[in-house]
Amino acid sequence: MSERTHKILQAVILFGLSAFLFYKIVSGTLYFYINARFTWLVVLGGAVFLGLAFFAWPRKSASHAHEHEDHDHGHAHSRSVWPLTILSIPLALGFLVPSRPLDSSALDTRGLTTNALMSVGGQTAVQLDQPSDQRNVLDWVRAFNFAADPVIYEGEPADVIGFVYQDPRLPEGQFLVGRFAVSCCAADAFAIGMIVQSDEAHQWAANQWVHVNGTIQVSHLDGVAVPLIVAESIKEVSIPPQPYLFP
Amino acid sequence: MKRVFNILNIVGLAVLGVALVLFLQNWMGGGIVLPSQFYTFTTIFLGIFIEAAPFLLLGTLASGLVEVFFKKEAIQRIMPRNRFLGALAGGLLGFVFPVCECGVVPLTRRLFRKGMGPAMGVAFLMASPVLNPIVILSTYAAYGWGPVLWLRVALSLAIAVATGLIFAVEEQPARLLRPSSLSLAPIRGASVDVALPMYQGSLGSRLRRALGIAGEEFFEMGRYLIIGSMLAAALQAVVPQGTLLALGSGPLLSVLVMMLLAVLLSICSTVDAFVSLAFVGTFTTGSILSFLVLGPMVDIKNILLYLQVFRRRTVLYMVILPVLMVILATVFINLNLGI
Repeated sequence: MSERTHKILQAVILFGLSAFLFYKIVSGTLYFYINARFTWLVVLGGAVFLGLAFFAWPRKSASHAHEHEDHDHGHAHSRSVWPLTILSIPLALGFLVPSRPLDSSALDTRGLTTNALMSVGGQTAVQLDQPSDQRNVLDWVRAFNFAADPVIYEGEPADVIGFVYQDPRLPEGQFLVGRFAVSCCAADAFAIGMIVQSDEAHQWAANQWVHVNGTIQVSHLDGVAVPLIVAESIKEVSIPPQPYLFP
Repeated sequence: MKRVFNILNIVGLAVLGVALVLFLQNWMGGGIVLPSQFYTFTTIFLGIFIEAAPFLLLGTLASGLVEVFFKKEAIQRIMPRNRFLGALAGGLLGFVFPVCECGVVPLTRRLFRKGMGPAMGVAFLMASPVLNPIVILSTYAAYGWGPVLWLRVALSLAIAVATGLIFAVEEQPARLLRPSSLSLAPIRGASVDVALPMYQGSLGSRLRRALGIAGEEFFEMGRYLIIGSMLAAALQAVVPQGTLLALGSGPLLSVLVMMLLAVLLSICSTVDAFVSLAFVGTFTTGSILSFLVLGPMVDIKNILLYLQVFRRRTVLYMVILPVLMVILATVFINLNLGI
C-alpha cells in the first residue's frame, strides 16, 4: 500500500472513530457501555478524533513548502495493513452489531454481589435519606448492607425496575430483579439484585425488564441479608435509557 | 513477530466478518442467533475502548506536544544525575503529567527519545497511574484518609522506584527498548546517536505537527489497546468470576486471587478504588491493596502497550518484578498489620 493510500485510510478510520463516539451519544446507547459521568470525556474524544482525522489527511507538500517535514517522505516501502484492520474492529462492532446492555447471561460469569459498599465509613446516612419508594435496587442493597439490623425496613413500600434473573439458588415462587452497577465502564460492572416473591414468578423469562411494586421483607442469600419484595404487581417494561446504576 | 501479526490480521478480519454477517442478517430479519456471550464480549470490549481511547488520545497529544516544544537538552538538564533521585523524580512526575495508565505509555516513549534515563522512565511509567492528583482523589473518595490510601500511594511509589532502579543497571536505554521506540517520526530509521534537530517553525505549524504525531501514534498504540481490551473482554465473558473469588480468603491466596482479578479486569486506575470496594469485608486488606497497586502497573491491556515500547525481555521483567514485590508487601501486611 502506498504511503498516500495509507494516510487516507488512517484519516478515514479516525473520522469513523469520531463518528462512532458521536453516534453512540446521539442514539442514546452510550450508557450501555459507560458511566454517564464520563460523557464529557467521550465528547472530548470524539472532537479530538475529528481534529486528528483532519490533520492526518495527506496534503500536497509542494503547495505547503513550509510543512514539508510534516510527513515521512523518502520511504517508498509499503506499509502493512494490519494496524488498519485492528483499528476498524471497534468501528465494525460499534456500527454493525446491535447494541445491547449486559444482561442476565453476563450474570452467569460475573456472579451476584451482595455487598455494594459506596465507601468505607461515612457518607451513608445521606444516601439513605430518601423516601423508600424512590430507592432503586442499588439503594436497597446498600441500605441492607449498612443497617445494623435490616428488620427496620420490613413493611416499607418498594418500587423498583430491573431485569429478571432466575437464580437457581432460589426456591419456587421467587426470582431476582437485578441491575448492573457500573463505576466506569461495562468491564467493571457488578450485578446486584433483590428477591421478588410472587405466585407467577416462574412465568417471567430471563432478561425481561420489569417494574416491581410491593413491600419489603428480609431474606437471606448464602447467609447474607438481602431485601425481598413481596410483589403486589409486576409489569413488563422496556429497557430504561440508563440500564446500569451508577454508584 | 511477523507471524504474530499475520494471526492478528486473520483474527481482525474474522471479527470484521462476523460483525458484517450479523449486521446483514439483522437487517434482512434473518434468524441466526449468536450466543449471548458474544454480545457480552462486544459490550465489555466497546466499554473499555470508549473509556480508554480518550485517555490514550490525551497521552499521544501530550507526546506530540513534548516532541515539538521540549528541547532534548532541556530535559537532560532537569533530569537528576543520581539514579536514585532520577527514579524518585520519575515516580513523582505524574503530578506534572497527570496522564493515566493508557496515556502514560506513548508519553514515556517520547521522553525516552528525548533522553530520559531508564530508571526515571520506568519509574514514571509504573508510578504515574497511581501517583497523580485524580487517582489519589478517587482513592480518597472511596477509602477516606485511611491505611488503604496511604499504603496504596507509598507501595506504588516504592515498587515503581525499585523497578526503575533495577533497570538503571542498564546504561543504554536502547537495550531495553524496541529499536523503533528511539527512532520515531520525524526521521524513521535514524540511528539513536543522531542528534535529532528540534522542529522549527511558526506556532501554528508546530501545533499541526504535534497533531500529526498524535494521530500516527494513536494508530501505533491504539491497536494494542484494542487487542488488549478484546482479550480482557473475552476472558470476562467466559471465565466465571465467582469461582475465582471463591478460591481465596487466606493471607496469600486472597492476594493472588485479587492480583489475577486486577490483571483480568484491566480497568482504569481512576476508578479501580470504587470497584475494589465490592471486595472489602470478604477479602483481606492486603489483597485489596494488591489489587490497587498491581492493577495500574500490570494488566492485559498495559502489557500489550508495553510491548510496543520495550523489548519482550524487558516487559517480562516489568511484569514479574512488580508482581513479586506486590506479593511480598501485601502478604506481609496481611500477616503483620492488623488492618
